[in-house]
Amino acid sequence: MQHYIVRRILQLIPVLLGISLITFLLIQLMPSDPAIVVLRVNQVPVTEAAIAAMRERLGLNRPLPIQYFDWLWHVLHLDFGNSYVTGEPVLQEVLHYAPVTLKLTCFTAILILLIALPAGILAALYKNSMFDQMSRMFAYTGTAIPSFWLGFLLIYLFSLKLKLFPVMGSGTLAHFVLPAITLAWGPAAICTRLLRSSMLDSLSQNYVLYARARGVFERMVIGQHVFKNALLPVVTFFGLSFAHLLSGAVIVENVFALPGVGRFMVKAILSRDYPVIQCFVCLSAFLFVSVNLIVDLVYGYLDPRIRLGGVNESAH
Amino acid sequence: MKNLFRALLAVAVAALIVLPSCAQPQSETQTSKEIIFSWSEDIGPLNPHLYNPSQMFAQDLVYESLVNYGRGGEILPGLAEQWEVSSDGKLMTFQLRQGVQFSDGTPFNAAAAKANLEQVLDNRDEHEWLGLIQEMDRVEAEGESTLKIYLKNAYYPALQELTLIRPVRFLSPKAFPDSGTTAEGIKAPIGTGPWVLADYSKDSLAVFKRNENYWGNPPEAEQVTVRIIPDGETRALAFENGEIDLIYGSGLISLDAFKRLQDSGEYEAEVSPPLNTRAIALNSSRGATQDLQVRQAIQHAFNKSAVIQAVFYNTEPQADTYFSNEVPYADIGLQPYAYDVDRANSLLDEAGWQRQGQGTRQKDGQPLTVELSFNATNNADKAVAEALQADLRVVGIDLRLLGEEEQSWLDRQTSGEFHLIFNDTWGPPYEPQAMMSSMRAPAHADYEAQSGLPMKAEIDRKIGEVLVSTDETTRRQLYEEVLTTLHEQAVYLPISYSTNIAVFHKNLSGFEFMPQANQVPLSKLDKA
Repeated sequence: MQHYIVRRILQLIPVLLGISLITFLLIQLMPSDPAIVVLRVNQVPVTEAAIAAMRERLGLNRPLPIQYFDWLWHVLHLDFGNSYVTGEPVLQEVLHYAPVTLKLTCFTAILILLIALPAGILAALYKNSMFDQMSRMFAYTGTAIPSFWLGFLLIYLFSLKLKLFPVMGSGTLAHFVLPAITLAWGPAAICTRLLRSSMLDSLSQNYVLYARARGVFERMVIGQHVFKNALLPVVTFFGLSFAHLLSGAVIVENVFALPGVGRFMVKAILSRDYPVIQCFVCLSAFLFVSVNLIVDLVYGYLDPRIRLGGVNESAH
Repeated sequence: MKNLFRALLAVAVAALIVLPSCAQPQSETQTSKEIIFSWSEDIGPLNPHLYNPSQMFAQDLVYESLVNYGRGGEILPGLAEQWEVSSDGKLMTFQLRQGVQFSDGTPFNAAAAKANLEQVLDNRDEHEWLGLIQEMDRVEAEGESTLKIYLKNAYYPALQELTLIRPVRFLSPKAFPDSGTTAEGIKAPIGTGPWVLADYSKDSLAVFKRNENYWGNPPEAEQVTVRIIPDGETRALAFENGEIDLIYGSGLISLDAFKRLQDSGEYEAEVSPPLNTRAIALNSSRGATQDLQVRQAIQHAFNKSAVIQAVFYNTEPQADTYFSNEVPYADIGLQPYAYDVDRANSLLDEAGWQRQGQGTRQKDGQPLTVELSFNATNNADKAVAEALQADLRVVGIDLRLLGEEEQSWLDRQTSGEFHLIFNDTWGPPYEPQAMMSSMRAPAHADYEAQSGLPMKAEIDRKIGEVLVSTDETTRRQLYEEVLTTLHEQAVYLPISYSTNIAVFHKNLSGFEFMPQANQVPLSKLDKA
């Protein structure tokens, strides 16, 4: 197992380097000259002389590879530069928004599991029952309803009519209930269906037949043999959803007026705040890669065939 | 498996118990004298000498000017009780109000005022758009309460421009940065105004407490909480739910939502007098709009009243001139371009744009196609653009709509790469002088739109003259000439005079609209 983990982590290094290079080059390809952006943000008249001076100050006149390595060196020290708009260090700004997003992500993730695991298992065990039909209905609506609309419906019902939760804000736990439901609805629906179909797949496998033939308790059969094997696609999907949520949920943050990273990011893109965009792309790429790594490790735990991989295959 | 189910069941039960209990009754969080306001963007660092991302309404709560702007352009006492302008117009002497303190206890006196003005003058470049700063030569303090501002030339709008929310307002000298100027940042937003920033969480909320040492009439409310809500529909719902007391501004909620709140009869809903002008600039130096007759035809072909009814629900009066008649020097009886499709058609025929059937007109094999550039996230502009497109198709002009994100749209205003572009005026107290002054600066849509006019040099010369004029008759004369030329040359398509809207709960009293577009009357409100 340790060998497997070390191998997977080493594989990350070239991936992350590649990401940093692409992030850096993407900014070079963007339409507005960073020097002009900074001047405009600071209300300095955009003249040739002012642009030249600003390019010099931002170090944009140096050769690209030097700019890249200089930037990378700072990034490795967690220094993503200062925001063009506020002049504050970028990482500090991102960290201001991170707690809200983190809380929202955790609530949502718990909610997804709370809904999807029981619903998926029951839908598979009682295939084509009333419950299965209902979970199918839930899946269709979950994937079809746009989140902003669902958000407003929930606000209308739970805040305006039932007066249970506040419309907006981020102070207390109550503020996160409606946004978490809004965000969890779609992924939970998909997760439920994924779990159901992979459970059904597993149920029809020979090892289940043998287990039953050996007289193993049905509970053991479902728990040990079916459920554990059926979890693989769900883990993948859940991992990706988790990373996705962590990198910000712009629409839901807007609807519920939550100060999360998604909103901050969109504002940065619209005002061409390049250092913030770079920091954000790097961090979310890092998040996705790490979550993928964790998913792979969980795979290895759930299914020994994967962690043993090609290495020990020949020994069998 | 069994354990898993048990665990899930436990969590579910816990959630059922915990979650409803965290919903608190909302009335509990509000003290009786707290007014909750909402805004779409973070209030920013509140540096009085700088611009965005600080929000003007918030800067206005904390900082004050030497003189204030009254309705119709009247100059009222502020931090200065009296003032005098020398006969050559080059020296302004202010008698400062005595006994005024910054909210940190530092006295506001001539030395503090001078220090602030010098910070602004050290960064002249940032204030290039503002004639006053360019004309200011030096500042002197005499004794405790006499401030003298020397100008390079006579500059008649100097007093008007001293009323602006930024950049000539006063920060406590103790809040100046240790090194460098305020252009690089300030230690804390400390002003003399009626409110003091007490709590702040970026992009979430800002709390202003009443300044108990305020020299003027203190506000009735003890506290103003500004909640940052980016979405207009959420704002309207939060208002209905009683989480917000007041919605005030332009574009903060959709006009559909405004109409719904107004029609419900449960709230007070009001529309301000006209502020600035929504307009489209027509580029006289590019494409088919170089042709005066095409520009005039566009004016005649646009059915404004239909747009105002359908898009603005008649909340905005129709605009026929670039500046409304309320703007000083602008009430000069210009003849509006009437909605007249036949006139538009005959103008285009005369200009040689031929039409086959119902298609697009052509001249020398070139179709009469022009582009209208707008900010794609501005729903009102988008709706106006679509209506204009339909109206112009009737007279054979093919209008292409070019919706882009805000920065690209601003890029086009600056570079002049447009045929038609949305370009609103700035509202009081910037009109007409500051707005006209900017018409001479490249990198403004106004300059670019006018740059193809044969008399552009003369327009610029006259604008330069009017700003340093000392004689009222000459000034009136020059304004009339410039505004008439611009109107006749049809470089602007005025649409409507935009307004601020206000919606508030019936337990608020003392409401009135403010004379400047970017002020919010929070100091006047009382809550029952």
